Amino acid sequence: MSSPMKFLIVDDFSTMRRIVRNLLKEIGHADADEAEDGVIALAKLRNGTFNFVVSDINMPNMNGFQLLTEIKKDEALKHLPVLMVTAEARKEDIVMAAQGGAAGYIVKPFTKATLEDKLANIFKKLGL
Amino acid sequence: MSSDNVQDSQGSPEMFQQLGSITRQLHDALKELGYTDKLKGTVDQLPDAQSRLSYIARLTGEAADKVLNHVEGAKAEQAQITRRGRQLVDSISTVPGLSTAMPELLKWSNEVVQNSEKSDARLTEIMMAQDFHDLTGQVIARVVQLASTIEEQLLALLLQSAPCGVPGQDKVLELDGPVVAPEGRTDVVSDQAQVDDLLASLGF
Repeated sequence: MSSPMKFLIVDDFSTMRRIVRNLLKEIGHADADEAEDGVIALAKLRNGTFNFVVSDINMPNMNGFQLLTEIKKDEALKHLPVLMVTAEARKEDIVMAAQGGAAGYIVKPFTKATLEDKLANIFKKLGL
Repeated sequence: MSSDNVQDSQGSPEMFQQLGSITRQLHDALKELGYTDKLKGTVDQLPDAQSRLSYIARLTGEAADKVLNHVEGAKAEQAQITRRGRQLVDSISTVPGLSTAMPELLKWSNEVVQNSEKSDARLTEIMMAQDFHDLTGQVIARVVQLASTIEEQLLALLLQSAPCGVPGQDKVLELDGPVVAPEGRTDVVSDQAQVDDLLASLGF
């Protein structure tokens, strides 16, 4: 990868945010910020410079699907890859995320290798 | 949307009248059978059940946080041990004849590095296992929500009021949360490989 990337981790559970943040650090992405729901995430995305979003789906105030929709309809944000990391395992949710423009989908519980693999695939696909 | 469609999606007034009638009949039957007090007891117990579940969610969350604090601290220490171990291996190699005179020095230094790396991998596994708080927390939140709904409905029944809820409200997006029993279900995936297969079949 050519330049360091800044991640935004969106999850209503602080435990999961810490886990994802630590994993990203181990994988080599130490620059990350956190948001506990879609509303806070959107505000942070609009006021900061991020390169990648890792988002849960089931959250209060604004869920991951709504956040994905908001990101993809915002001219300034729609280029951002959004990786969904969620316990939602219904096929219709996975299809909805893919059709909504998600760059990838990981079901919880997951492993470090899975996250590493999905990120590598997304970076390769986007030429990052 | 036509008015017929609107009525279909909202249910007919007759249907709600019937539901109201059934609710009143159920209430009367419960009263006649002497179950009202038991029902009241159940309603009284539900908030207690909710607070117990919330207590479990809070405690498991605190436990997971404690583990993560220690894991993060231990990982930083392991990283330092690994770094120093490597420096030691390099230093031994630079002293002429030392690795030949005391081969165990080099062997042990290498073992320190290897074991430290293994411990770091174990710490990662311990960290990943803390995701139970997220998964069980979501399930507990759903049960608390369910208990709250049941409590509301039982209270409504006790008060002999009309069925609660606003007829015709748009169906909100309902998310399932963690799948607790995937056996026999075809509408959910049970592992990451199935997610990948599904997305690949759709061309993603």
